[in-house]
Order: sequence, then structure tokens, then C-alpha cells
Amino acid sequence: MPTEASVETGSFRDRDSRVVVAGDTVFRVLSERGAEDWRALASSELLERLTSEGSLVGTEEASVADLGTDAPLLPDGVAAVLRHERIPFVSYPYEWTFGMLRDAALLQLDLELEALDQELTLKDATPYNVQFRGSDPVFIDVGSFERLREGEPWAGYRQFCMLYLYPLLLQAYKEIPFQPWLRGSIDGITPREAARFFSFRDRFRRGVLTHVALHARLERRYEEREGGEVKKDLKKANFKTAYVKANVQRMRKLVAGLSWKAGDTAWTGYREQNTYTDEDAERKQAFVREAAAASRPGLVWDMGCNDGAYSRIAAESAGYVVAFDYDHATVEALYRSLRSEGDRRILPLVGNLADPSPGLGWRGLERRPLEQRGKPDLILALALIHHVSITANVPIAEFLDWVRSLEAEMVIEFPKRDDPMVRRLLSGKRTGSNSDYELEGFERELGERFQISKTEALPSGTRVLYRVHP
Amino acid sequence: MRTLAYLDPGSGSMILQMLLGGVAAVAVSIKMFGKKVFRTLAFWKKDEPEKAEPVRTAADPESKKEAKETV
Repeated sequence: MPTEASVETGSFRDRDSRVVVAGDTVFRVLSERGAEDWRALASSELLERLTSEGSLVGTEEASVADLGTDAPLLPDGVAAVLRHERIPFVSYPYEWTFGMLRDAALLQLDLELEALDQELTLKDATPYNVQFRGSDPVFIDVGSFERLREGEPWAGYRQFCMLYLYPLLLQAYKEIPFQPWLRGSIDGITPREAARFFSFRDRFRRGVLTHVALHARLERRYEEREGGEVKKDLKKANFKTAYVKANVQRMRKLVAGLSWKAGDTAWTGYREQNTYTDEDAERKQAFVREAAAASRPGLVWDMGCNDGAYSRIAAESAGYVVAFDYDHATVEALYRSLRSEGDRRILPLVGNLADPSPGLGWRGLERRPLEQRGKPDLILALALIHHVSITANVPIAEFLDWVRSLEAEMVIEFPKRDDPMVRRLLSGKRTGSNSDYELEGFERELGERFQISKTEALPSGTRVLYRVHP
Repeated sequence: MRTLAYLDPGSGSMILQMLLGGVAAVAVSIKMFGKKVFRTLAFWKKDEPEKAEPVRTAADPESKKEAKETV
């Protein structure tokens, strides 16, 4: 029997399609118009092909009775219900790497082109409609497909620029990280904001003159002009779907040609250094492997994953691993490596534990905080606590309180004060600072919150591993 | 006809799509939006909003005439 259904708080924008969650099942309810669009998609050859290729989320028809609720879910009533495959862990573009955002953009454009061939189109163009299964992007908003109206422009073009193209251009051309921008602005970067970033010389780089400079200018010049009027004018002037197609194809070429230098460098370095010979690393690997094999966790969080070596070990016995790290270039290298292997079990994300993703958007509920998207069964906190405690100045006790609240098993590594990395982090601080950062105090605090089932000092003598249970 | 899309595609963004649509589309744009589009294309010139007179531009006599005809 279904548990009580509730609307997904992030899916209110489209009045013809809304996501409803009941227990572990994800439904989509459609209005009359939404249902007609769905039937157009379902009767085309697209639905089956895209789903089996993995680029569209698994979808089947369900009935209103399956929802188990009488609550009014759409303003004009529910005409059809769909059941979706569940995505293991929801992530947002401000947690993605450059390569992830670019691959999501290419998926968005490919689907638009496929749709146009079938007299369909996508009503929007937002990366929030894309999720990742491991390193594999998948489009989740089946409700975005609608029947094409000849003579109308690409509805999602401006949104595509704001949420995909400008963030990518900033990273590729100006080395400005896009994640803080997307986290700070749920609708992305406006053309006029984007135009401020690029110099005159930048206008000679692909995409800047047209999609940024000219776009910003036209927007300023025609800001008083009503959209409906322009649409009518375009129709009258015989605007053709062929123009939309040509524009989307050109956009695809532009996006596919974008690259980010630091990501390229990290990727090269990754392949060169991806060997673990030193004894500490070997012992650490065995420790993690044993912990993961013993607990067979559904979900692992590898906090501070670096090159993902331990995520991979955990993935041998886990259902799914979310691997996050603060360093964008490192995570980019991990993503590319996983993508080239076709991995679907490790989701690499960019994130700072001392400043984790908050709730954002309308009522702070549109995009959910990290912890509300799936609690871990096993946490890996390897070579992490010195960064949290010394660099970010989070008190050890408070950090442990937080991980304890996640109710998970954990493998945690403590580098002692004489560890070279710890010494480096402390070197810029006044003598005696971060006094709570010492082994005895840490062990005591850890023991107060968890049961310690295994302890191992690594051969180098400056690091200790713990396996703990709540 | 009421607008069916839930997302506002943006007036400037729609006009840009016309301009980017190809040779035929550019010819139509010029017919539709007149010299102002040319002025906008002069990317080497500084864009000065106070001189652009956005309100008067919005009430472009040519487009107004067309708009009236459709009513």
C-alpha cells in the first residue's frame, strides 16, 4: 500500500506537471494539457528509445488511485499520473563540475533536437531537469516535452543561456567558478550580468558576441516590448522551426567545443599519479575495504574524496557512493575518469563540508540541503578532519556532533599534530591555536558519541584510523 | 491567443533567435525591427542605455502598426 503522498516542493513552477512522492515511489501528476503532451511523447518512438538509451528517466503510466491521496495536487485537476524510476541521490548544478554541467547541457540540446524531429519541443531548458546516475546524466522532467507550435521560437533559449551557457563560459574563458553563482541565484546569470564579465577582447571568443553581448543589448533595448507581441511578430514574419533547429545545432557545437584548462591539467595529473604504493595507503585501503564489506551500506558518503580511490573501494560493497570534495579540478578529474569507465555507482560532487549546500529557492524548499537528500549508512572521513578543524576552525566536538546526527557508521582518520600536513595548516596560525586538535581529546570526544570497534595506527606514525558505530 | 508557455522566453532573446536564424531570418528581422537592430549590432560602440531610449524603442512605430493590425 502506498504511504502518504506529498508534493515535491521543488516542482511547482510548471502548472501542467508536478512531482509527487509517496514513500519510495516518485509520481508525476499531469493536467489535461500535460496529459495530451505526454500522449504525444508516448506515441512517438522517442520515449522508448531515449529511456532504453538511459538519457530519459524510466517512466510508466499509473493511476490516481496509486497516489493514495485526495489532496488537490494541480490547480486544474489531475488528468494523468506517471510513475518514475528513482534517482539514487539528487544533486544540483552548483555541486557539479564543469564537465558535468557541460554534459548535462549537451543532453538538454540533444533531447531538444530529437524532440524537434518528432514535432515536439522542450518547454524549458534548466539543468535542474538533469540528474546523474553515477557519472551518467539523465533527463528527469518528462513533463518538459510538449507539442511543437510552428512559428514559435525556442522557449528555453534564455534559460539555457542563464543556467548552462554563461556558467560554462565563465569557467572556460575567465576561470571564474560557476558554482557560487548558481548557488547564489536560482535562475542563473542574466545576459546583462554575464556581459559585465567579458571584456571587448573576449567578444572575439566563440559565443560571447552573440549569446552574451548582443543578447544583453537586445534585452535592454526591447525590455519594454511585450513578449506576446514579439511572438506574434515572429509568427507573422514566418519564423520557422528550422531556425530553432539551426540555433540549437549551433549552440550544441559551441558547448561541445568548450573546455576548462585547470580541469584538463588535473585530469592529466590524475592518470599519472593514480598508483598507490606507499604502505600507509595500502593499509588504509584494506581498512576501508573491510569496513564497507562488513556493513554492506546502501549509501556511502565519501567526504573529502580527493581522487576517489576510497570511493571506488567502498563501491565494491556499497549500493551507491556520493563522493565530494572541495577542490573543483580534482573532482573534475574524478568525474572524467568515472565517465570514461561508464560508472553508475559513484556520484562525484564539488562541496565544502564547512559550508554544505543549504535549502534554496521558494521557502528554502525548492532545492534541498545535502542531508535531506539521502542519509548515509557509511561515512568515510579520510584525511578530512584537519581541514575542517584547522582550516575552517570548526570545533572538533561540533563536527562530531554533526556526523553523529547522521546516524551512520564511519571510518575516520585523525592526522596528529606532528603530521606534515597538519603542521603546514597550523604554521600560519599563532602558537597553540586550535588546542582542541589533539589525539587524546579527539579520541575521548569520539568515544562519547560512538562505539569504537577498530583502531589502527598507520605505519608512518602520524595518522590513526577509527571504525565507529553510532 | 493566450500564451501557453509557463516560462517567459524574453523579448530580446526571441529577437536574437530571429537574428541568429540565418540569412533569410536576418532579412525579415530588419524588415520587422528596422534600423534599431542595426544599431544594436554595432558591438564596438558603447551601449548607452540613456541614449537607447528604451521606452520609445518599445513603441517602435512600425511594430505598433503591425500590432494594431493583428488586433
